[in-house]
Amino acid sequence: MKIGAFEELVLLAVGSLGEEAYGVVVKEMLEEKTGKSPSIGALHSALYRLEDKGCLTSHEGGATSERGGRRKKYYQITSAGKEAILEVNKIRLEFSKNIEGLNLGLDEA
Amino acid sequence: MKPEKEIHPPKWADVLLKWFCSERVIETLQGDLYELYAKRRSKSSKLKADYSFIGDVISSIRPFAIRKLWSKHSNTNAMFRNNLKVAWRGLVKHKMYSLIKVGGLAIGITACLLISIFVKDELSHDRNYTEVERIYRLINVSNDPADFEKWLAHQALVAQMMKNQFPEIEMAGRLIPYNWFEGGENQVRRSDRMSNAYEDSFAFMDQELLEILRPEMVYGDLESALSKPNSILISRAKADKYFPDENPIGKTLILDEDLENPKVVGGVMENPDPQNHLQFDFLISLTEREFWRGEQTSWCCSNYNVYFKLAEGINAEELQAKLTKVMQENYVPYLRERGNLYAEAVEQYRSYELQPVVDIHLYSRDLNDVLKNGDIRIVWLFSAIAFFVLVLACINFINLSTAKSANRAKEVGLRKVVGSFRSNLIGQFLTESILVTLISTAFGIMLAWVLMPFFNTISGKTLDIPFEEWWLIPSMIILAIVVGTLAGIYPAFYLSAFRPIEVISGKVSKGAKTSTLRSIMVIFQFTCSVILIVGSLVVYQQMQFMLNKDLGYDKEHVVLLQGVNSIGDKLDLLQNNLLNLSDVQSVSASNYLPVSGTKRDQNEFWKEGRSKIDKAIGAQVWHVDDDYIETLGMNLMLGRDFDKTSLRDSSSLIINQTMARELGLDDPIGARVQNWEGWTVIGVIEDFHFESMRDGIGPLALALGRFGSVVPVRVKTNNMKGTLEEITAAWDEIMPNQPIRYSFLDEVFASMYEDVQRTGSVFTGFSVLAIFVACLGLFGLSAFMVEQRSKEISIRKVLGASIKMIFSLLTINFMKLVGMSLLIGIPVSFYLMQEWLLDFEFRIEIGWIVFVVASIITTIIAIATISFESFKAAVVNPVKGLRSE
Repeated sequence: MKIGAFEELVLLAVGSLGEEAYGVVVKEMLEEKTGKSPSIGALHSALYRLEDKGCLTSHEGGATSERGGRRKKYYQITSAGKEAILEVNKIRLEFSKNIEGLNLGLDEA
Repeated sequence: MKPEKEIHPPKWADVLLKWFCSERVIETLQGDLYELYAKRRSKSSKLKADYSFIGDVISSIRPFAIRKLWSKHSNTNAMFRNNLKVAWRGLVKHKMYSLIKVGGLAIGITACLLISIFVKDELSHDRNYTEVERIYRLINVSNDPADFEKWLAHQALVAQMMKNQFPEIEMAGRLIPYNWFEGGENQVRRSDRMSNAYEDSFAFMDQELLEILRPEMVYGDLESALSKPNSILISRAKADKYFPDENPIGKTLILDEDLENPKVVGGVMENPDPQNHLQFDFLISLTEREFWRGEQTSWCCSNYNVYFKLAEGINAEELQAKLTKVMQENYVPYLRERGNLYAEAVEQYRSYELQPVVDIHLYSRDLNDVLKNGDIRIVWLFSAIAFFVLVLACINFINLSTAKSANRAKEVGLRKVVGSFRSNLIGQFLTESILVTLISTAFGIMLAWVLMPFFNTISGKTLDIPFEEWWLIPSMIILAIVVGTLAGIYPAFYLSAFRPIEVISGKVSKGAKTSTLRSIMVIFQFTCSVILIVGSLVVYQQMQFMLNKDLGYDKEHVVLLQGVNSIGDKLDLLQNNLLNLSDVQSVSASNYLPVSGTKRDQNEFWKEGRSKIDKAIGAQVWHVDDDYIETLGMNLMLGRDFDKTSLRDSSSLIINQTMARELGLDDPIGARVQNWEGWTVIGVIEDFHFESMRDGIGPLALALGRFGSVVPVRVKTNNMKGTLEEITAAWDEIMPNQPIRYSFLDEVFASMYEDVQRTGSVFTGFSVLAIFVACLGLFGLSAFMVEQRSKEISIRKVLGASIKMIFSLLTINFMKLVGMSLLIGIPVSFYLMQEWLLDFEFRIEIGWIVFVVASIITTIIAIATISFESFKAAVVNPVKGLRSE
């Protein structure tokens, strides 16, 4: 399973939000953690891609009036999603071993 | 409620979002956007929030969000295959209706294909010369309001004079395509053989014209083929005939036993391309040729067609305006000098025009061109007919599809209930109609292939379906798809618009909704049919009128012996021997015959001594012998026939009634008239038709002359074959070296009207097609109606309705439509045929009988078509219709 860097961030955000991950919240989470605000289009695009890849599952629920009566789509990370993160990290680790003075702090884990 | 809770993002952005988003995405995406908008509104200004919203919407135009226009699901292929399968099953299930749809469209496509091939051929004439766009033909124009005319004959010196005066003209060449001196027809033989053969495609041509047109050469050099006096250029076919297996260059041909002027072959060209306007096999050089003393430098006589090749980048219209100067500076003074009264008219009204060589084939109708050309009006007529037949076939398709809509309404409703979108249904119905047109196209091509020989006879061409051309199949497929889409689009939208609830609860009345539209279409179809029937009848009547009209001479039982000019002084002997045959009544000799295309001699005539006072009248002078009037059965009204024993008669004329009238001769017998010499009128002959009936009868005079290449023989016999054998024997005795060649005056006469005959055949052929297609449609509709009303009919019968009542119930509505068509079609056809008849100086009046006959034919055909199903329904046992349910 190959995922891109932005997808990885989205995946991490969804994972860390637990039961509460839907579009707007994920966007705010990413904003808070990275300091950069992804466009909603890019975010949704990534979410659908990750769902297609099997890294996320979703269910719908929770319409509010401020959403114009539209329901929220809640995402949850799957085990495949977690594996994808691990895989990315493994690659990262492989590279970092060859870079002197770079310690990702993952050796102990 | 707090106002900030309300959400008002910019509306257009919201609409945009809804438009491009797929259903899958819109729910959550729009929700998120609204939520974000609400949050931003609470923090910042509305403007800022609006901008962010718009930005978000635009950022969402990404592949994941965009809905697919044609299929919501990715199984497009599967659906397409399913559509095909359903379409095919539908066709097979309703065999009769399918047959009507396919049959009608196949006929329409056949007509279209045949006519496109014809039109393409007509439009591609004279394209193959080098630098064709620079080649022009010179036209004379007389803008005299009393006598508007255009013609092609120019004086010998015009071509070179213009070339010298205008640097825009790069080359100038002349052609004599007329039956004039050796032009036209001749007896031909090699100088080393004795026996003559007849050839009829001679013309005179300048070396320079040869270099303008540049035909492909087989032997010899294009640059010198006609440069020597008395040289001749022959086609490959003729070279093979006279000089098989040898190089003919330098060999000599003798024309009409003229041993003093043998023609030396200067070259052999490829056979003329059938798409060129010049189809001559023998081209005789004009180099140093002077037909009489001073002919080449005089403005007197016009016998030359003139072609120019313009220099590069010259605007022909600008040049054309300047050319008139040549006439004003030279021809007008020439006429003035001689006191000719035409000088005024020439100065005021005459001008020149340049005709592009590519226009010659289709736009020479009013130029008095002797070359056989096409007619742009025929191209339009054919195209219009093809288009209409195709439209009629499409109408059948639409009518039947919408009529059958009731049967499909449930299908549509059910498909919608299980989640079909309208676009799916439209796609399905279009697939069906395109499938039908593709099948029809295949049949259409086959039908066209079968009909091609027939079409060739009526169009007078030798065309083929260009199967070997790469574009044929793709273009036919494109045609099928276009026609299929056009024919299917209305039914597709109509059928796919059904509301499922109404359909399933039975609210859609059975195919009745569009009956107005269907009625209009039926009326249209039958109006076309009526017009074509009237057209056929009028053309037929005019043809009969022309063939049977009293011509002023008797065209029956006249045998024309051709090519007699090589007989020399044995003409008397031949005539005497022929007269001795028991079946021969009289024998004449003259080239001048009362059918177009034979020899003519136009002269200017005045009453004697008034040539400087009166305007001349143009009159034919025909050189005939003393048996001419009797042999051709003309009627001498006043005076006497020629007497060849009388010396005086060498300057006597017998004139026709028109000439007597136009010259204002109250007492013609003994009157003196003149052209360039004086004549005494000794008789007046009844006007007879000597040209096609398109033209009026002009002034004409007969004079005694001895020479002729045609010997007309009047016979009276019940055994034409035997008589011809006797005549042949008499001929062979005198002319052993030349096989006899004869024709019949009535056949030559009829051939003048071949084009009318052709128009008639076209009308009839396409009337049959149009009526057939219209009937197919009517048959389908009536069958459908009977099917729909079978229960009603059964109940009516049970309640005591007679067969007659049922029958009229079923037919009356259709008959009303046919009646409407007659009401529209008759005035339209009357107008159109009246226009057509204007071409003819002698024409029929369109009588009411034509319209009665057309109405009866149309009505009978329509009734017969409807009756087929109606009658079946009317006599059927009512139990059959009521048993089920």
